[in-house]
Amino acid sequence: MTAKWSDLGLRLSGAVVVAVMVVGLVALVIPYDPADAVSYDSLLNPPSAAHWLGTDGQGRDVLMRLVKGTEAFFLPGLMGGLIAVVLGGLAGAYTGYASGPLRSALVGLLQLVDTLPRLVFIILLCTIRNPSIPLIAVVAGLLFVPTVATVVRRKVEALASEDYILAHIAHGFTPARILLHHILWLQCWPLLVRQAAFVFGYVLFVETGLSYLGDYGVQEPDPSWGNMVAQVKDLAGAGAWPWLAPAVAIVVTIASFLAFGNLVARKGEEALR
Amino acid sequence: MSGAASFLALAGRRIAASLLLLVGASFLIYFTIRSAPGDAVDAITPMGTPPEIKEKLAAEFGLDQGVLGGYGVWLSRSATGDFGESLVFAPGQTVMEVAGPAFEKTLLLSGGALFATVVLSILLALLLGEPSARQQGLTGALYFITSAPGFVSAVVFSAAVNAGVQRFVEQAGHETPAWYPIPIYSDSIVPYFFAGFVLVMGDGLLMDTFNAVRAEILGVRGAQFISAVRARGASVTPHLWLNLAIPIFSAFVSRLPVVLGGVVIVEYVFTLDGAGYLLLEASKQRDFPVVVGLSVLFTLAVIVVGLLSDVARSVIDQREVARDG
Amino acid sequence: MTAPLLSIEDLIIEFDTQQGRRRVVDGVSFSVAQGEVLGILGESGSGKTLSTLSILGLVPGRPGVVSGHIRAHTDGGEVDFLAELPSVVSGGTAERAYQKDDRRWQRIVQRTMKPYWGQFATAVFQNPKQSLDPLMTIGRQLDESVSLADPSLDRAAVRARSVDWLRRVQLHDPVRVAASYAHELSGGMCQRAMIAVALAREPRLLIADEPTTGLDTTVRAEIVGLFKALLRDRRRAMLYISHDIREVLFLADRVIVMRHGKVLEETSADDLRHGRGRRHPYTASLLEAADLPVGEAA
Repeated sequence: MTAKWSDLGLRLSGAVVVAVMVVGLVALVIPYDPADAVSYDSLLNPPSAAHWLGTDGQGRDVLMRLVKGTEAFFLPGLMGGLIAVVLGGLAGAYTGYASGPLRSALVGLLQLVDTLPRLVFIILLCTIRNPSIPLIAVVAGLLFVPTVATVVRRKVEALASEDYILAHIAHGFTPARILLHHILWLQCWPLLVRQAAFVFGYVLFVETGLSYLGDYGVQEPDPSWGNMVAQVKDLAGAGAWPWLAPAVAIVVTIASFLAFGNLVARKGEEALR
Repeated sequence: MSGAASFLALAGRRIAASLLLLVGASFLIYFTIRSAPGDAVDAITPMGTPPEIKEKLAAEFGLDQGVLGGYGVWLSRSATGDFGESLVFAPGQTVMEVAGPAFEKTLLLSGGALFATVVLSILLALLLGEPSARQQGLTGALYFITSAPGFVSAVVFSAAVNAGVQRFVEQAGHETPAWYPIPIYSDSIVPYFFAGFVLVMGDGLLMDTFNAVRAEILGVRGAQFISAVRARGASVTPHLWLNLAIPIFSAFVSRLPVVLGGVVIVEYVFTLDGAGYLLLEASKQRDFPVVVGLSVLFTLAVIVVGLLSDVARSVIDQREVARDG
Repeated sequence: MTAPLLSIEDLIIEFDTQQGRRRVVDGVSFSVAQGEVLGILGESGSGKTLSTLSILGLVPGRPGVVSGHIRAHTDGGEVDFLAELPSVVSGGTAERAYQKDDRRWQRIVQRTMKPYWGQFATAVFQNPKQSLDPLMTIGRQLDESVSLADPSLDRAAVRARSVDWLRRVQLHDPVRVAASYAHELSGGMCQRAMIAVALAREPRLLIADEPTTGLDTTVRAEIVGLFKALLRDRRRAMLYISHDIREVLFLADRVIVMRHGKVLEETSADDLRHGRGRRHPYTASLLEAADLPVGEAA
C-alpha cells in the first residue's frame, strides 16, 4: 500500500523533473526577443488555441515566457547542486575520516559558513556587487556545502567501523580509494541525490525570489518565473493567468524536485540495506 | 566535579565557542564587503554621495587599511553595537535606532510563526499517529502545498484575500478594512497574522517540522522504557513529554534560520516594516550601514538561539554534561 | 491444588509479514500458581518472549491474529484478558484480528489492561539501561511505583521506602543511586534498580524477560542470585524467561521448554536437575550442551 503511493509520487515527480530538464534544454536553443513579443493587439488574453496560457499585460505569450523563463534557473540550479554535492561530499569524506589540525580548521570553516543566514547573506552580496544569477547559484551552492558535508560525515563515521570497510583496509586499498569509491560513490549517492535536488530547488527559490523583488536577479523585459509573478502588482486583479501560471510552475517544480530527490534517495537507501 | 560546576563549565565553553563563531561569521561578512569590485567606497554608497560622507564611511569600515586591519577597526566598533548612521533610509539616525525596533518585530513574527508551526505539528502528529497508507495521499497534498516559496504563497494568498474582501464589501456594503488591499501601509495588526500564516504554510516548513516531530514522538513512544512504565501501571504522559521536550525544542530552534530567511521576502510582500523589509529597502536604496548592521544582527540571532538550545539541552539532559565533560 | 494465578490456554499469535501470515506462537498453554517460579526456556525466536509479553498486552508491532485464553485470577475473580478485548473481525469467536485499525486496537488494549498493569503483573526486560527513563532520576521512578502501590504515603515516606527498595536489591549507597540517572550507573546496577522499580509496585506476578542478557558473566550470577533472594518469601510468582538452562534451573520450580512457537515439554525443575524421567531430545541437547546430567532421552 505504502509502496504504491510512493511509486505514484516517484512517477509524478519524476515526470515533472524530466519535463523541466527537457524544457530547460529546449529553452536554451529557442530564439526569443522580448521586445518583438510585445503586442498591443492582444493584451491580457485568456487561454486560447493561439496562446495556450493567454497573454500578459504587454500582449506577450505567457507559455513562451514560461518556457524561456527556465533559462534563468536551469543551468545555475544544476551548477549550484553540483558544487554543493562535490565540495560537500569531499569535505564530508575528509572530515569523517581524517584527524588533525587541518580537519579541525575545515570543520570550523564549515561551521562558520553554516551560521550565515543564507538569504540575508545573498542579499548582502547583491547590495555590494549586484551579481548575475550564475554567480548567485555558485554562492548558494557554497552556502550548502556545510549541510552536505555534515550528512556525508555522519555516514562516513557510521561506515568506518563496518566490517567490510575494515576488510577493504586489510586488503590494502588506499584510504582515498575506499573513501571516494566505496563510501562516497557506492554508499552516499542517495544522500547526494537528495541534497543536489534540494539545492536545485533552493537556487530556483532564490532566483525567482530576487527576480520577484525586481532590483536584483532577472530584469524585465527578460523573462523569469519570479518577475512574471511580480506582474500581480501591476495587474491589480485584471487577470490571473500571467502571474498564476508561473506561480504554479514554481510550486510544482520545487515540490517535484524535493519529492523526487527524497523518493529516489529512499529507494537507493533501501537497496543498499 | 559536581553537577553545577560541570554545568557551568559546559555553559562557559559553549559561550566561548559561540563568540568564536560570531567573530568568524562577521569576518566572512566583512570579507564579502571588501571583495567589492573597484573602489570599495564607491561600490557601497549610492551615486552622488558627498565626499565627506564617503570618507567617514571609509574610516568607519576600515576601508583605508588592509583586510585584517580594517576588520579590526570595524569589529571593535560593531562589538559596541555601533554600526554607524543610516545614509538614505533614515538619514541622521544610527543603524541601531532604525534596525533595533524592526528586528524585534521580525523576531516576534518569526518566533510566533515557528511556535505555531511546532504546535500544529505536534497536534497533527498526535492526530495522525503512525504513517499509514491512508494518510499518504493527505500528507502528499500537504507536502505539495507547503513546499511553495514564501513569496509565492504570499502573493497567491493576498490575491485570494483581496478578491474575497472585495466581494464581501460589495455584497454587504461594509467599508473596506484599513489593511485592504494587501499590500498597503497600515497600523493594523491583521497583515502580521497573514504573514505568520504564510510563513507557517510556506518554504516547506510545516511538513519538515511535522515529519521531524512525528518521528520523535513515535521514537519515544516505542522506546523500551515507555513499555516498562506502562507495564508497571504508571502514567506514560510525564515520561513522554519529559523526553520529548528537548527534541521538540531543537525542532523549533534548528528551523529558526529557515524562518529568518523566509520572513525577509514575506515581510516585503506584505510591506510590514520589520527587519526583512528594512533589509530589502535599505539594499535597494544602497543604505550600506543598515544592510551590514542587519546582516550581523540576523547572524547574531542564529548564533544566540543555537547557544540557548545547547544550554537548555544540558539543563534537561544530564547526559549532555557528562558527554561533554 | 489451589487455582493458578495465571493460566494461558491455546495461545496463538500470528504476524502479517510481507511473506504472508507467520505463526510465531502456536497453541501454547501453561499456568503459574501463586508464589511459583516458572522457567521458560528456549532459544531466540522460540516465541517465549512473545507469549509472556502478550499477558501484559505489550506485543510489539502489528500482529495479525491473537487467539486463545489468558486467564488471570485477581481479587475481583477470574478474567480472561483476551475475552475482554472486543473481536474486531466478525465471525470468529476467539480470533481477534486487528491489523485493520492498529491504533484503535492499541487504545482498547491500553484501556482493558490498565487496571492489571503493575497491580497484577509487571515486567523486567533485557537491556536495563533502556528500561529506565533516561531523563528521570532512579529515585523519582521508584517513587512513582511506591506511591502507586500505596497511595496513602506522603512524599517523605515514599522516598524512604524507595531508598529501602534500593537497599533490598543490594545496591550500595542507595541514597546516591536514588539521585542518579541511568547513564551514570553500570548495566548491572541499572538492572538492580529496574528490579526495585518493578517490585516496588507490589505485583503478584513478575515477568523477567531475559533480564541478564547483555550483562557480564559475574554480574549475571549476581542478578540471578538477587532474584532468588527476593523471591524466597514466596509472596509473588515469577515467569523467568531465559535461553540459559543453568539460570532457569537455579531459579525455577517448574520449567517449560519452547521451540518454534510450541511448548515441547513441561517438567519439574528437580527432575531436570537430577536427570530424572524421560527428556525431549531438544531438552536433552540443551542439558548436554551445559554439561548437565541428561537422564533418559525420549
